[in-house]
Amino acid sequence: MTATSRRPPADDPRVTLDEELGVFEPIPPYPPRTEREAEFYSLGDGEMFINMGPQHPSTHGVLRVVMKLDGEKVVDLDPVLGYLHRGVEKLCENADYHQTISQVDPLEYVSSLFNEWAPVMAYEQLLDIEVPRRAEYIRVLSGELNRISSHALFMGWMALDLGGLTPILWSFIERDEIVEMLAALTGQRMLFNYFRIGGVNGDLNHDFMSRLGDWMTRATQQIESNLTLLNENEIFVRRMRGLGTIDSETALRMCWTGPNLRATGLPFDVRRAHPYSVYPELDFDIPTRAEGDCLARYLLRLDEIKQSLRIIDQCLDRMPDGPIMAKLPRLLRPRPGRAYAAVEGPRGQYAAYAISDGTDQPFRLRIHDPSFIHLQSVGLLVPGHLIADTIAVMASLDPIMGGVDK
Amino acid sequence: MAKRGAQLALDAEAQGLGTGPADATQMGSDQPANRPGALVSREPSDLAEPIVVPNTLWTSTDPMAYGGGRPADITHLRDFEASGGGRRDDARWSGLLEVIPTRADYVLDLIRANSLWPLLSGLACCAIEMMSAATSKNDMDRWGMFPFRASPRQADVLIVAGTLTTKMAGPLVRLWEQMPEPKWCVAMGDCTCSGGRYKRSYSTVEGIDRVMPVDVYVPGCPPRPEGLIYGMMKLQQLIKDRRGHWPERAIGPTVPEGI
Repeated sequence: MTATSRRPPADDPRVTLDEELGVFEPIPPYPPRTEREAEFYSLGDGEMFINMGPQHPSTHGVLRVVMKLDGEKVVDLDPVLGYLHRGVEKLCENADYHQTISQVDPLEYVSSLFNEWAPVMAYEQLLDIEVPRRAEYIRVLSGELNRISSHALFMGWMALDLGGLTPILWSFIERDEIVEMLAALTGQRMLFNYFRIGGVNGDLNHDFMSRLGDWMTRATQQIESNLTLLNENEIFVRRMRGLGTIDSETALRMCWTGPNLRATGLPFDVRRAHPYSVYPELDFDIPTRAEGDCLARYLLRLDEIKQSLRIIDQCLDRMPDGPIMAKLPRLLRPRPGRAYAAVEGPRGQYAAYAISDGTDQPFRLRIHDPSFIHLQSVGLLVPGHLIADTIAVMASLDPIMGGVDK
Repeated sequence: MAKRGAQLALDAEAQGLGTGPADATQMGSDQPANRPGALVSREPSDLAEPIVVPNTLWTSTDPMAYGGGRPADITHLRDFEASGGGRRDDARWSGLLEVIPTRADYVLDLIRANSLWPLLSGLACCAIEMMSAATSKNDMDRWGMFPFRASPRQADVLIVAGTLTTKMAGPLVRLWEQMPEPKWCVAMGDCTCSGGRYKRSYSTVEGIDRVMPVDVYVPGCPPRPEGLIYGMMKLQQLIKDRRGHWPERAIGPTVPEGI
């Protein structure tokens, strides 16, 4: 392909469309389409709009939020999504079952293994496959490692969004070690493409095991020392306590799951409520906290890290021998039908709903993403707080825009 | 042409863009400027003509002083816009670079190459690896690439990290245009180089070189932090190689052979 042919045609509508619509104005350049829009985009006395994003260092990606302010207080708030909409679900309809695994990888890009896990489980239900026990144990082991790395990232981001630079330097040490470990296992640092329908791609190898053993001997101590950076920081604790409080009833009504829901006091965990894989055989607690504020959401994730370490220990103890892949034909044609599978991701219930029409490509793959569910509650949590607290509340929900926009 | 047509159609359909009450008297009377319709941007040609008050009070003794011989000292903003003088970015050097172009740029580019300030702008997955390259383990600061600026006004390098969607293309180009010259662009990841695994999607831009110039491509999905650092070192080399002259920016690959 020559250099000239790479230039877009002058009338390429995809590149110019958004500029024409003037996306940078806080107020959309069209008449209000809904009553909610008409209400939001009309100003009361002394109110003003401020636009945050889509390029903003604290929105965890490309979220855009239009805030209606009264002084420094947020009166109302309108998140604008779609800046990272990549059309994953549509691409999955045009890829065969194996290829969809790599398409769903970059959804929640800090916890890719869970993105693979749910669709793979749904496909296995469609195909009626039994996964070898060693493969299940490897899945749990690598998944829990990924959960720890995701929570470590959360810890750093949260502090960074509040203005502290130090914790992210510490938490990225943990994250990099885990990610390198998983790279030894899967071949990739972030978008692993490791789970297969009926098993996993590669067996545990020496490089991974030696890195893991090395890390496990000092993980607890390292994480504990990281915690003291923030947990005993009075500025941090006073800032986060009582911020963005939500009760368990409202949280359930907003379909919250995962650590955010458990921080309101409800011990709901997909690993226990709807057990899958080998989690019924493993011994771990479901930490909960009653407060339901930002601090609780933060502390709960730290408790989860400790539980994940327990699970990893047990996995290593009980790791059975055997095959890592079920015997399958190369080309998969599941019988027509529907399957739903949910896993407990680091952010909550991550689910996939697959419809098969008997061909080698899924007819439809629907991804249920917890980030999107939690982000929709920002409009409930934030109004009444200050602008700076908007950042803190959004950070504590830990949304990943790749998962929100899909 | 199409843009103008769309604007006209919008204007005809919804004059004042009724985002508030249709009647302006229902708005807060103390802040008329906050009327939603007033915030919508207009075409530049909608600006009013400058008001020129003719001097009828006194005359100069010198017949050549006003209206003859010398051009007026006052430049109207519109004439200034047309001259293109406002688009030159030598404000910090007050025209010095035109007088001593080669030697000054030669030295300044050495300085620039060793103090690249990237823009803290992440679009998707690659942003995490970019953060990893900036934090403890792979410390980009060691090569003078660290201080990630949150404002495009203070940044030298735009590291486009992650999938560029059509909805984000406008804001990203706006970011690039907001950065002062000299500036460079690093395309990080397969999605920004060519579209990558989302090349066939209906909503992505297949490579950011369709909408903006790119100096260095770093492929990988996502590239390792070392890959990004290598790309940034290549950028430093490119700045040193090109020092003293600035080729016209073009959308499309602008990397010379061998880089």
